[in-house]
Amino acid sequence: MFDYFIRRLLLTIPTFIGCTIVVFTIVTLAPGGPLEQQIQALKKGGGETGGGGGLAGEQTLPPQALEDLKEFYGFDKPIWKQYIIWLGVWQRDAESFKVELNKRRLVGGGHSLMLTNDFKIVDADNPSEIAKDWKWEEAAPDAQGNKRYRIYRTEFSGVLTGNFGKSYKYPGKTVMELIVDRMPISTQFGIVGLILSYTLCVYLGIQKALRHNSVFDFVSSTLVFVAYSIPGWAFGAVLLVILCTQTFFPILPLGGFESIDYSDLPFFDKIWDRVIHFVLPLTAYTLGGFASLTMLMKNSLLDNLSQDYIRTAFAKGIREQRVIWLHAMRNSIIPIVTNIGYLIGVFVAGSYLIERVFNIDGIGKLTFDSAVARDYPIVFAFTVISVIITLMGSIISDLILSLTDPRIRFK
Amino acid sequence: MAKSASDSKQKTEILTINQRRWRKFKSLKRGYVSLWILAVSYTLSMFLPLLVSNKALYVNYNGNSYFPAVRDLLDLPVIGALGGSNFISGETLGQQGNAAECNYRQLQKQYEQENAGNTVIMPLYPYSSNEDISSGIGEQAEIVEQFAAPFESKNGSVPRLLGTDDRGRDVFSRLTYGFQISMSFALLVAFLEYLIGIPIGAIMGYFGRGFDLMMQRFMEIWGSLPYLFLIIIIASLITPNFILLVGLVTIFAWMGPAAQMRSQVYREKTRDYVAAAISIGVPTRKILLKHILPNSLVPIITFLPFAIVSGIGALVSLDFLGFGLPPTTASWGEMVGVGLAYVTDGYWWLVLVPLGAMFTTLILVVFIGEGVREAFDPKVFSRLR
Repeated sequence: MFDYFIRRLLLTIPTFIGCTIVVFTIVTLAPGGPLEQQIQALKKGGGETGGGGGLAGEQTLPPQALEDLKEFYGFDKPIWKQYIIWLGVWQRDAESFKVELNKRRLVGGGHSLMLTNDFKIVDADNPSEIAKDWKWEEAAPDAQGNKRYRIYRTEFSGVLTGNFGKSYKYPGKTVMELIVDRMPISTQFGIVGLILSYTLCVYLGIQKALRHNSVFDFVSSTLVFVAYSIPGWAFGAVLLVILCTQTFFPILPLGGFESIDYSDLPFFDKIWDRVIHFVLPLTAYTLGGFASLTMLMKNSLLDNLSQDYIRTAFAKGIREQRVIWLHAMRNSIIPIVTNIGYLIGVFVAGSYLIERVFNIDGIGKLTFDSAVARDYPIVFAFTVISVIITLMGSIISDLILSLTDPRIRFK
Repeated sequence: MAKSASDSKQKTEILTINQRRWRKFKSLKRGYVSLWILAVSYTLSMFLPLLVSNKALYVNYNGNSYFPAVRDLLDLPVIGALGGSNFISGETLGQQGNAAECNYRQLQKQYEQENAGNTVIMPLYPYSSNEDISSGIGEQAEIVEQFAAPFESKNGSVPRLLGTDDRGRDVFSRLTYGFQISMSFALLVAFLEYLIGIPIGAIMGYFGRGFDLMMQRFMEIWGSLPYLFLIIIIASLITPNFILLVGLVTIFAWMGPAAQMRSQVYREKTRDYVAAAISIGVPTRKILLKHILPNSLVPIITFLPFAIVSGIGALVSLDFLGFGLPPTTASWGEMVGVGLAYVTDGYWWLVLVPLGAMFTTLILVVFIGEGVREAFDPKVFSRLR
């Protein structure tokens, strides 16, 4: 058993690598990336400042600038190298500067460095002290033909060290900061939705099983199937039109996560404000998983109720309530519990569709916008997070299953 | 069960399992009726250019007969994209000074006024899904109203059943064409995902070992790809069309049936009848196709309606996000997108109508699915009390 889970854990490594390689390759090779966008922007800017030459044709970037841009995005290296650098198993340039011999260069932390004639990188203020971390190499000469060198410092920093890089679109923000900013929204919807759907579904499932084939069962089955077939965001949109616009019953606010004057509200109004903004998106989020969970609970309980050990329990004269709640329920809850592994997903849960309908600035919107704008670091970060959550979720689920049900043996 | 009149018939009537399933399905009225409704609507939707279109069914002008709508129908591939050969200019039919496409609604009025024995027969609902305020320029232009409310009629023309949208396009017309596209899309995706998934799943389950392990890893990787991102990126490279979208959704959807098939075959191959078949020397191909396949298909078939549900959902979602079918195509997702953009202005029908159509379709499909599942797998629970 222990071996099994070790093996499962080890198998996640090739999956993780495979998945990130596929996404990395497709996204990086697709044209229209940040480099092209930058070049386009520069060309446009250049054309305007040049002025007059309206039909002068395409402005070409000086090769120097193109070189610098490529270096900035790391596109000067082959794709496999970009990938392992991103992963953090290859050194990336932490700092890199173009210098001429014997000229001071200000680097991070208030230091100035200098490349001497005998190719040693020394502290400019104290030439006897050699900067050990720094390396140098020859670089392309500048426009005047002066010989230049590149001095750089490298470090291992990538996904494996927790560094997802910086966003292109939101300058000065790291990907981690952007995600953490939006996590509270996802977490709130995730956790409340989870508690709500589990409570309702388990209760409904039990009632349906106990009243199998009754009118209640029939009607609730229909409702549950309807809920299953309708995408959550679409149902949310219908509720939005009916409950939030002036046409019908304008009782709830029209989208958003909180009111504009939220911070000025007194405490209880704050809570109320949250609640009324919360109801519709929450409904939309919860709707999808409702059917499968309810039916799982119902079928599982029904299955157990028709087992021989229940018959035996009844035959022994145990009260019905006790048989159902103590004997049957304990076994019936097992399949429900196994889903709990995916709980770890609630912190970054987000559906762009729902967030778009209700105009919420959550994780879904961030990912969607970054995919459209080709903000690669964010796209990659989300690939990593979602892959890890899926893989870990299924392992945790199996683990919980094996803990709750001693009959199950994984091999 | 069978109410055959003669006793002799009752004796000879031995039903195969599939006949029994069909009877059971028929006895579940909700699913059966849903199947009929959907089948009839989808068949009708194949002939939409004859039912809902701005082109006349029949024009008789100076003794010559024209059938513009029929031309349209023959030109209509599954997608509903219009071809180029069905062009008849207004001048050909006597609309003075209209070298562009003939406006048949006006032509009808014109012929009535002239009373010269020329006739126009329009389809049942004479508005097309793509006519907007930009079409019909010049003298022949009608007033096409934006945001017309449902049942609103302007200067005596046929009322707009479900109103018009921000560009004056007819909502009812778009709805019907959207139905046809959504259903075609979902059916095609479901067909293809089964076509790919079933053989792969069967081979994985039957032969196991290296291939199985490899494919499982592959499916794990493929399944955890962020597929919306990939579609967005691909859509920015190539303008997606119907076929491309079918392909894109299929390459992610086939894993469902494959995984299901794999576990079914895995279970079936340990049964005694397979061992018996192997021991009398039945070739592997035959064991798979004739013995295992029919026995393992049941759960997969019961899953089919739900595959259609997710196909429709996927198309509507993609269209809503703007990464679906090309903009000229009538699609429910695009309609919802337009509607939500004007949500504060009180044009409720722009959101509720397409979503209502989608909900109705999905619910019908789910009812069919429920019936099929019940018919294939009549689980009888019995308990004390």
